[in-house]
Amino acid sequence: MRSSAAAVAWEFHHRHRWYLIGLAVYVLVLGLIKPIYLGPEEILDLGDGFAAFAVVPFSITFMYFIAVFTFGLTGDLAARPSIYPQRMFTLPVSTAALAGWPMLYGAATMATLWLIVRVLARWPWQMELPVVWPGFLGAVVLAWMQVFTWMPYGIRGLRVITAVTVLTSLDTTVILAINYEWSEASIIAFLAPQLPLAYLCACIVVARARRGVVPDWSLFSRTAVARTRPPFRSSAAAQRWFEWRRNGTSLPVMVAIVLPFELFLPFITGYGARTFIFELLIFILLTPIAMAGFAGATVSKANPFGREVYGLTPFTATKPITTVALIAAKLNMAMWSTLATWVIALAFIAIGFSWSGADTVVIDWARWFAARVGIPRAMVAALLAIGGLMLGTWLMLVQGLFVGLTGREWLIKTSGLVWLFIFMVIGPIFEWIAENRVTWAWLWDNWRLLLAIVVVLKIAAAIVVAKRLSRSGLFSDRALVAGAAGWAAAVFALYGVFVWWADTPILPRFVFLLVAILAVPLVRVSAAPLALAWNRHR
Amino acid sequence: MADAVIKIENLTRRFGAKTALNGVSLSMRRGGVYGLVGANGAGKTTLIKHILGLLQAESGSVRIFGLDPVAEPVAVLSRLGYLSEENDLPGWMRVDELIRYSRAFYQNWDEGYAEDLRQSFALDPAAKIKDLSKGQRSRAGLLIALAYRPELLVLDEPSSGLDPIVRRDILGAVIRTIADEGRTVLFSSHLLDEVEQVADHVTMIRQGTIVMSAPLAEIKRTHSGLSLDEIFVSLAGAKA
Repeated sequence: MRSSAAAVAWEFHHRHRWYLIGLAVYVLVLGLIKPIYLGPEEILDLGDGFAAFAVVPFSITFMYFIAVFTFGLTGDLAARPSIYPQRMFTLPVSTAALAGWPMLYGAATMATLWLIVRVLARWPWQMELPVVWPGFLGAVVLAWMQVFTWMPYGIRGLRVITAVTVLTSLDTTVILAINYEWSEASIIAFLAPQLPLAYLCACIVVARARRGVVPDWSLFSRTAVARTRPPFRSSAAAQRWFEWRRNGTSLPVMVAIVLPFELFLPFITGYGARTFIFELLIFILLTPIAMAGFAGATVSKANPFGREVYGLTPFTATKPITTVALIAAKLNMAMWSTLATWVIALAFIAIGFSWSGADTVVIDWARWFAARVGIPRAMVAALLAIGGLMLGTWLMLVQGLFVGLTGREWLIKTSGLVWLFIFMVIGPIFEWIAENRVTWAWLWDNWRLLLAIVVVLKIAAAIVVAKRLSRSGLFSDRALVAGAAGWAAAVFALYGVFVWWADTPILPRFVFLLVAILAVPLVRVSAAPLALAWNRHR
Repeated sequence: MADAVIKIENLTRRFGAKTALNGVSLSMRRGGVYGLVGANGAGKTTLIKHILGLLQAESGSVRIFGLDPVAEPVAVLSRLGYLSEENDLPGWMRVDELIRYSRAFYQNWDEGYAEDLRQSFALDPAAKIKDLSKGQRSRAGLLIALAYRPELLVLDEPSSGLDPIVRRDILGAVIRTIADEGRTVLFSSHLLDEVEQVADHVTMIRQGTIVMSAPLAEIKRTHSGLSLDEIFVSLAGAKA
């Protein structure tokens, strides 16, 4: 390697070559669809759902490239110091080169990614997409992302907020430009000058980081004072505190940042039609669950903000506490985090809706619903809805533990790929079902059978997990039986509520039981101790 | 051996094609200071991880206080103090929080002794772990490994990269632990002069195999007054 530029390029390529090879193979397969299955003149028209095959992987690739070229995969995003790798500061290379080469390679990669997307859109789908400006947008987004992630900050966590705010503003500006039908030349004229500007800013922030500058913008005195606190009552209490401090506040903070933006919409547009209020309410109520999906990805990590630190550190692994207690602390933290999140979310919704006047619409619905089903049923329905949303949030936080806590990178990455595949195929499958009358009719006739099959699979998986838990000695047989009894009691309680609420001759009662069995979590949560034990005692 | 604190028999461990430990058998008695020496990659940390129960024996057996550390981690780890080579204390904790958190796990936690150690190590209770120097982090790790007076103290390369003052503190901790009757220390190190100062039994490991394990006095006698450094080099050269 004869130059520092080649060395930097080699590092990017070598570390991420398998992703690039996978992407190349995928692009090749997509490109071959047309010559193999269609004639040269035919257009591939498989509906919007099939666009997921292009949209999902390329959107993820876009985010992946941002993470790669900002060095965000290996750094602590929330930390005050720059996440630019410290090891590179000691290289005999100018600061301009340190900032410039990753920016140049990133910009070229983003532009290439767009050109590939455009060629694919034109080749099998014959979609006409703009040639230049989306590639420019990708490069500009990456360049500013590099500036704001490489910059040292004076307050922990400010990097994430700043980067999200700036990028949202940039995206919004471009979306408005498209909406107001700016010409491609005008959009390029808006974007192009930002690249050299971002480069200059990057040179400044990398120079500051290289000098070891870490500002202090805290409003309060940093003279820390030791506090005398009573000792923890037990090791389990200490571990719960540990988990809460490490992971518990992420979700409430994320929701507290995002919800005000969503609730601001009625103030801009006016709450207008009732359907808008309904859609907005659903969107807002689902926000904590979606955010929990992101927060949940960090719960099984040793360092919530690092990527390559799966599993346990010796500090935790050598504490005299059982594997089950370590999992219990995580589940408990997730429960309190969920509660805190929903207290914040419901408070924000109440304030936002009452200030915007949209609360009257919601109150009208509630009254109409109560008049229709009766007050007791309406109250139980509201409790079930809130309980379901909270359970969904909690599950999103903990459902990945049985994979993440194994500490096996290959398993975690494979699981990620499986989920990616599911996201890609779920749209096309629904679309295919909706358009295929025979399939639709078959599903209509057999949905109860399908539900029963899913229940059988869940129970079978639970039996396998229970056997392995018993064999591993993590739980005594008595504890396993007590756990199973508790789960069954929850299922029957929910079944009773369902039957009381909606007993109807249209639906046989066993359907309520099947739904209750599927609704109460069992397999993934109970597999988490096995995963952690596999990691703790390799 | 009735009073064996550590008893390892025919332990073998492979990582892919590499054999990290090959038929290792060791017995360490209560009240001794055992030095574990070997070159980088010799298998010292792998052996210690088996003692802690972080690795399962593929073949052979590991018993600590007569217990299997994988099957009964709480019973073993509550009697064992460990200072990790990785120095992986959580950076977000403050020193007082680290002490408060750690004491919850050990019934024998001696608050007075912990405070003595904190003061002698000059650790500011309000300081965050991530703001401590490498030496101070090692001292904080040593504090939480010692404050409950463990029956077995395991130190994995504790002096690696540290200044002489911190190394002196660590050696002092070893000596203090020995002073408590019936306690055992397992001390892995590259710094053979340190091992020579405190160990009364030395085990030398090379490419996963024990090449020598004997009381220090006996080693010196059989090697006609050579230092441990010289013996190590001669053994490594002879076996290479």
